[in-house]
Amino acid sequence: MRQKSFYLLLAVAVAFVLLIRSCYQADYTVAGRPVDQMTLAWHASLIVFHVIAAAMFLMTALLSMGLFSRDREDGSMVMLLCRPVDRWQYVLGRIVGIWLLSTAFMLILHLTLFLIVLANTGMMIPGYLSASLLCAVNLLFATVLTCFLALFLPNIMAAAFTLGVVGISFLSDGTFQAMQSALLRHMVAGESQVALWRILFPKVYMLQHYASTWITTSAFDGMPPIYVVANIVFYTGALAAAALWRFYRSEI
Amino acid sequence: MISFENVTKRYGNLVAVDAVSYTLHKGESFALLGPNGAGKTTLVRMLLGFSRCTAGKIAIRGVPAGRSASRHKLGYLAELHRIPPYLSGFEYLMRQAALCGLTGSEAKTSVRDILKKVGMDGLEKKKAAHYSKGMTQRLGLGAALLGEPEMLVLDEPVSGLDPLGVRDVRVLLEAFKKSGGTIILNSHRLSEVEKLCDSVAIMDRGRIVVKGDLAHIVQQNETLEDVFIRHVEGKIT
Repeated sequence: MRQKSFYLLLAVAVAFVLLIRSCYQADYTVAGRPVDQMTLAWHASLIVFHVIAAAMFLMTALLSMGLFSRDREDGSMVMLLCRPVDRWQYVLGRIVGIWLLSTAFMLILHLTLFLIVLANTGMMIPGYLSASLLCAVNLLFATVLTCFLALFLPNIMAAAFTLGVVGISFLSDGTFQAMQSALLRHMVAGESQVALWRILFPKVYMLQHYASTWITTSAFDGMPPIYVVANIVFYTGALAAAALWRFYRSEI
Repeated sequence: MISFENVTKRYGNLVAVDAVSYTLHKGESFALLGPNGAGKTTLVRMLLGFSRCTAGKIAIRGVPAGRSASRHKLGYLAELHRIPPYLSGFEYLMRQAALCGLTGSEAKTSVRDILKKVGMDGLEKKKAAHYSKGMTQRLGLGAALLGEPEMLVLDEPVSGLDPLGVRDVRVLLEAFKKSGGTIILNSHRLSEVEKLCDSVAIMDRGRIVVKGDLAHIVQQNETLEDVFIRHVEGKIT
């Protein structure tokens, strides 16, 4: 049943992505000048890349929120842990399973779009799929955060909290990134100091933005990419350790 | 083989298990008896590592309970046994077989053999959601018997079974006992305990009130039920 729901959701999502095809078949003009199909396809693909990557946070949070409570209710937890299976193996196995599922889901959607562009325009967007894989690090963060929170909070609260963290990251770092443009810097008077919490906050948006620079091949402004990746990896590792600590202390 | 040393479990002010000590030897069939809320299931849960001892320690073959190695060659049947509803009986047993280290044709052969033993042959393709309580219990017992376990921990194994099912389970457990397996049975069915077990411990309010060989505990002209009532009601003579 679980598998059927997953396949159905995947089919619906792929069908939506396939609808993008019609975008490439229309004639567009900007400031009176026609836009060639290549430029159009490239920009549309970039926007859809971000939409898919952002929508996957919702999907991942929903998949992860009931991971342990579902296993507890349907007997899977006892089924596994009465055997010579360590708790850490169970927790990490479940988390990695959900993460791989989410990653595969996102990669299929990105691959569908990649193939649509290739079929319609003959253009192969470099870095599109590797950027998708980099965004999978964000999904691991979302999975671990939701699973950790679900050990304390009701499932829906855990998912909502995760989406809240992601939302704050998008707002905070999105604003910061926008302020990197010369135009906006001229428009906003005075130099503003970036608050420490904004620097330390999980760099979910920044990682996605950095991944998109693999598609646009533009420079990544604002902070070193290594910090962005290290930030997310650190939070993911710390939350996974905390989830294990909590799970080890809980009753089965 | 299994040792309980001053095992205590507290939930706030409530003492669920109070300084329980017992040593179980290889090949022994041991029954844990007691009224509801006596602490039997809590003790079993601590043995399996599902719950931590507040004080004391439990070891299986010298390995502290809770470590995965302690559950090696151990089969367990929970009181309210549940099977994930999206799995068929066959799929469930195949997963259990994989957890026991059985793969491929070896796993399939073992599962088919177990299905016959527990009387579920021909019913294995149905999803667990469509099984009766008795069928679920039979599959749970089948899962516990997979992988040639050396010991079985059974929490109310005949719960939900009809008289024929109860007899079938007894026959299976007797065969397991004859093969040298160790059994820990948590049950309210005293007649079944008398037929199957060598030793018993009666628990009440977290404490063991009587323990030892069945032959020594049950005097002439009395039943295990008489002993149980005598100790649990506090009328020890």
